Amino acid sequence: MEINRRRFCQLLGSAVLLPSLTRAADQDSRPAKPLFASAAKASNGQFHLYLNGQQGEVLLDHLLPERAHHTAVHPHQPLLACIARRPGNFIDLVDYREQRLVKRIMAGRGRHFFGHGIFSDDGRWLITTENEIRSGQGRIVIRALEEGYPIIADYPSYGTGPHELVQQPASSILTVANGGILTHPDRGREKLNLDSMQPSLLRLNLLTGERLEQQQLPAHLHQLSIRHIDTNRQGATVIALQDQGDMGHNRPLVAVHQPGQPIELLRAPPAVNLAMKGYCGSARFDHSGRFAAVSAPRGDLISFWDLHENRFISSIKSRDGCGLAATSHSAEFIISAGTGHCLRHNLHRGTTERLPSVIATAWDNHLATLSF
Amino acid sequence: MNSMSNTLWPVFLGISLLVIIAGKLHAAPTEQQWQSLNQSLVEEHILPRYRVLQLSSAKLASSTTALCRQPGQAQLEKTRQAFQQTMNAWQEVQHIQFGPIETLMRNFSMQFWPDKKNLIGKQLNRLLQQQDPNTLSTDYLYKASIGVKGLPALERLLFTSSLTELTNNSYRCQLSQAVSVYIADNSQATLDEWIHGYKDSLSSAGREESYYDSHQEAAVDMMKSMIEPVEAIRDQKILRPLGDGKIRPKRSESWRSQRSLRNIRLNIASLSHLYSGTTTSVDSLLREQGRTAQADNIITLFNRLETQLEAVPAPLITSLYQPETVSQLLQISDALQQLDHLLSAEMIAMNIQLGFNSRDGD
Repeated sequence: MEINRRRFCQLLGSAVLLPSLTRAADQDSRPAKPLFASAAKASNGQFHLYLNGQQGEVLLDHLLPERAHHTAVHPHQPLLACIARRPGNFIDLVDYREQRLVKRIMAGRGRHFFGHGIFSDDGRWLITTENEIRSGQGRIVIRALEEGYPIIADYPSYGTGPHELVQQPASSILTVANGGILTHPDRGREKLNLDSMQPSLLRLNLLTGERLEQQQLPAHLHQLSIRHIDTNRQGATVIALQDQGDMGHNRPLVAVHQPGQPIELLRAPPAVNLAMKGYCGSARFDHSGRFAAVSAPRGDLISFWDLHENRFISSIKSRDGCGLAATSHSAEFIISAGTGHCLRHNLHRGTTERLPSVIATAWDNHLATLSF
Repeated sequence: MNSMSNTLWPVFLGISLLVIIAGKLHAAPTEQQWQSLNQSLVEEHILPRYRVLQLSSAKLASSTTALCRQPGQAQLEKTRQAFQQTMNAWQEVQHIQFGPIETLMRNFSMQFWPDKKNLIGKQLNRLLQQQDPNTLSTDYLYKASIGVKGLPALERLLFTSSLTELTNNSYRCQLSQAVSVYIADNSQATLDEWIHGYKDSLSSAGREESYYDSHQEAAVDMMKSMIEPVEAIRDQKILRPLGDGKIRPKRSESWRSQRSLRNIRLNIASLSHLYSGTTTSVDSLLREQGRTAQADNIITLFNRLETQLEAVPAPLITSLYQPETVSQLLQISDALQQLDHLLSAEMIAMNIQLGFNSRDGD
């Protein structure tokens, strides 16, 4: 039955593509425009990488070997990199135009991935956060996108459990979130050092591995794991935190960092901060780099922040919403949810619309928009 | 263009047929059925439990007040009894973790547990040392740390104090009174907000004024309340006190009032009621979907759990040191895990997505 169901989804997908097919027959061909790529769990329990079109069409359906986490979009080739969720060891490089797996990159011996990776701005490299299992030390690994995908640099992350990393646009600076949580593949996803964890935010020279800056939270907040980040052109970093301590203290869950400054904690109004349930899942700047969205999937809400004024703006409901991405409009975001729903929220207009979708699938933690 | 559309007719027809066939084989409950389930659960499961909590906590508040006015062994016993009644009521509704109980941290304020860093002990001792009369106002307690204003703090005050410590209108007695009044206020407010607001939001799911986009979405909150506690009870209330090779009875819930086991029994009975005790129930929906065998298995497992729990000797604070008790509890833990699996499988069958990013994020 599961096969029928999947076949059914595929047919439904092609049904929506039909209008463009008929146009193609009229020689008035304009292919469906891709909107976002994301890993997902299909209703039959399998894990897929999908590329969704603007009308919800499925433009790519790639079966993954296991659950993935983040998907990176190449800056100028039709290439997606879908990274295994920690402590996984694969990255699927997929060409969505040719609809094929270009390469399954495997983590090196004694290493695993942490779920995040990016293409460098110039499109030459693939950069990932990794765990050196024996020492428990975090690593930043750069692979060249050429024959054999050779590792051309392997830097320390100066911390434990590095999670998301981003490149400051038009610079050679990487920002890395050292989550601080020690895990070992032999113990699955168990957190082994919650009492002593020391998360940090690292700024690193991509070309040399030089540590430019490293910031920690105040000692009494050491259980706030720095996990998901985004950096704008000015180098400001928005941070989504996860509270690993006792719940019920209503500690802040969002922070911002300006180069050379200590991390500044931001607070939503107490009721909103509380509703976030100690857990933020994703953070993204908008196209302008002034506004940021931070998702709180356990609280079924997305919060929005003005990072010129370092203040909370508003929040909207999104059940199980986690994935965030900027659109090409200022103050506008796309949100994906484990329910399969996707939203577009525009802060200027205060509007939230549900995006069309043709597949029933649980969107995984992160999505990436395609800017074509 | 026209001829193209014509040739595509068979495809459309095929798709429509597939939709119908898939619909028949994957007969998840309809919106109407979810609405009926939600309504039954609110009227017959949730509201009655919050009413009992409101009544028992109000009695507890007046009993504590009477204790401070006229202390005596009999009144202390009566107050402890009133605490037990309130804790019974709370344990029967502890699994409902959505709606008004979430507002203003009420759930944490009612019971901050497990308290792994002894926050309650530290904060309570500080208050008892300072004896500042300002800390006795309801206003103060509203702003106070969650550690000092809930049932665990009151349990310490009522079950570890001697009668002499509670006489002469002592600070200790007055603090007990203030905390019990706060608990009663909290219970009252939770009930009021369910009756005037949240209940309507549930019944009007799908409309503009509702928090919920559909009755199915509202049912997800109900189903979470049924399934998530199963694992929590197993991990926190059973396995944690069993420790990593070393028995730790003081990690049990409510060990000071010697009711750790009673709590678990009430939890399971209440989850069983949520599953099958109402007019429309999860059980009845499953049977309507033709999943009779699965529904039977769940009922059997609930019954077995209740029997297994009856056989465990109380109080756990002492019985936990007996190897037979440990093996009984490990069997119960296995049964809970099995229950978790059975219920989760039925959620998939009923097309209920409990949460992907929220339950298993990174």
